[in-house]
Amino acid sequence: MTNLSVCGPLDPNFAWDGNRLYRDADFAPGLELPSGLRGAAAAVRPGVGGTWRVIRDPLGINKLFWAREPDGSVAVAARPRRLIDLGHPLERISAIPRGCVVDLEPAVDEPVQRLIVPASWSSRGDAGRLSLEAAGQRLRSTLDGYLAAVATAHPRAKVFVCLSGGLDSSSIAAVARRHLADIVGVSFDLRRRPGRSSEDRLTAQRLADDFGMPLLEATVTEEELFHHLDTVLVEGADWRDFNVHAALVNAAMAAAIREAAPNGEVLVLTGDLANEFLVDYHTESYNRHVYYQLPRLPPVALRASLVQGLDTCHREVGVFAAWDLHVVQPYAVAADSYLALPEDVLVLENRKELLCRAAVGELLPEYVFTRPKVRAQVGSVEIGGGVLAACVDRGFDGRWLRRRFAELHDVTDLAVLDRFIRAGRYRSSVPSLIGRAA
Amino acid sequence: MNTDFIADRIETFVRTQFEVSPVDDGFGRSVDLFELGYVDSVGFAELLAFFSEEFDVDVPESDLLSEEFLSIDGMALIVSRLSVDQREGIASIR
Repeated sequence: MTNLSVCGPLDPNFAWDGNRLYRDADFAPGLELPSGLRGAAAAVRPGVGGTWRVIRDPLGINKLFWAREPDGSVAVAARPRRLIDLGHPLERISAIPRGCVVDLEPAVDEPVQRLIVPASWSSRGDAGRLSLEAAGQRLRSTLDGYLAAVATAHPRAKVFVCLSGGLDSSSIAAVARRHLADIVGVSFDLRRRPGRSSEDRLTAQRLADDFGMPLLEATVTEEELFHHLDTVLVEGADWRDFNVHAALVNAAMAAAIREAAPNGEVLVLTGDLANEFLVDYHTESYNRHVYYQLPRLPPVALRASLVQGLDTCHREVGVFAAWDLHVVQPYAVAADSYLALPEDVLVLENRKELLCRAAVGELLPEYVFTRPKVRAQVGSVEIGGGVLAACVDRGFDGRWLRRRFAELHDVTDLAVLDRFIRAGRYRSSVPSLIGRAA
Repeated sequence: MNTDFIADRIETFVRTQFEVSPVDDGFGRSVDLFELGYVDSVGFAELLAFFSEEFDVDVPESDLLSEEFLSIDGMALIVSRLSVDQREGIASIR
């Protein structure tokens, strides 16, 4: 009898040590601790004599959940729903902590647990102080090295890049096209009457044209968008409105990509994470209600809180995986550059523009730097509301999403959800291989 | 650190930060702050930052998701224990 089993596929590894991509084999028990690991990783690797090593990356990008089987063995899965399908109620499912390497041995009561989250990442840590110029140069160097390595490791993959026309995704597209061939841009928009395009779409079209890059336009009706709602709640492993709204946008793009590339390995590059690293979020108002509330904290503490919250955000990797698409988030491997930016930079209104100019200034046309920011979830006054408005108008507000998530995870007592995610973190613990039979 | 002192500080913070009325009879140190709506998920993040700033402790997930962490009295016990554990941890590293 095996003492640990993996249920379903795990999220793919795109982790990087500053010089090379990690391979799954690098995570085997007994090998050196991957202390410099950056980017997405989740692994459950067997060793000799019934030993196992379980790993989750420092940002918690890839997800891993576990539950104790009735016979005392451990079941691990990338989504809680897969463990529920095995008969485990949500209240007995825990996440493997982010940034954790767990070595398990049979007949050893206490697993060996080591953290690979740099101490400098906490709000109290000393991340050093990088100027915007220096951070930009480091960011560029990291992105170049990482994307070149991705290109080498995945020579036959079809590559798409999510293109909102904003600075984050445009910068990724600009660097990626230097290393990866035949990239296709992907742009999301809601189909609108009388057929007007969003500012995001128009900028994406213009940028793709300037880059000589084909653009896949994922234009969907609200009905088509909401068709993905249950998928988003299950694969995104979260019910909170901001993440669900972003995940719906991703689901629409994922469906369009899979239709355009029905076979073979597909990589999807996104500009996600820069907003967390640069504290580039704010509340939104719609119909006199305020959405997307943020903790009232000073910038460095807020950044730490947002970064910790990535633990429970699977709006990218999880959602694209539902269409068997592999997400690459290049900013994840550059976390140290961002987190070394001091408070006096984080309070600058144009911090993102300045950083991107330092990193990729010569690669992007000026209009990308100067256009006003528009979130796909929010839309604009000129062309109508975005996904937020569409959801709220249909009654799919925060409470509805929470109830629907509970239904999809066989939860009847909603208080169970509050003990599953709190302050942006999953309930987490590490298993031992001396399980008491349930 | 004295648990009563910690509970005092937490209560003052919660009353101020989450605008609890001074005449709210339902509020107290033993009530479930989450269930009664005094603190939401975003507010918990503010509480964690307060603990870090005020008491120099980082609350691990195992405590964050515990039943104890739902009331001021429970939080005070957790913070008191963590402040000892984390101080001893630092001392042993040195």
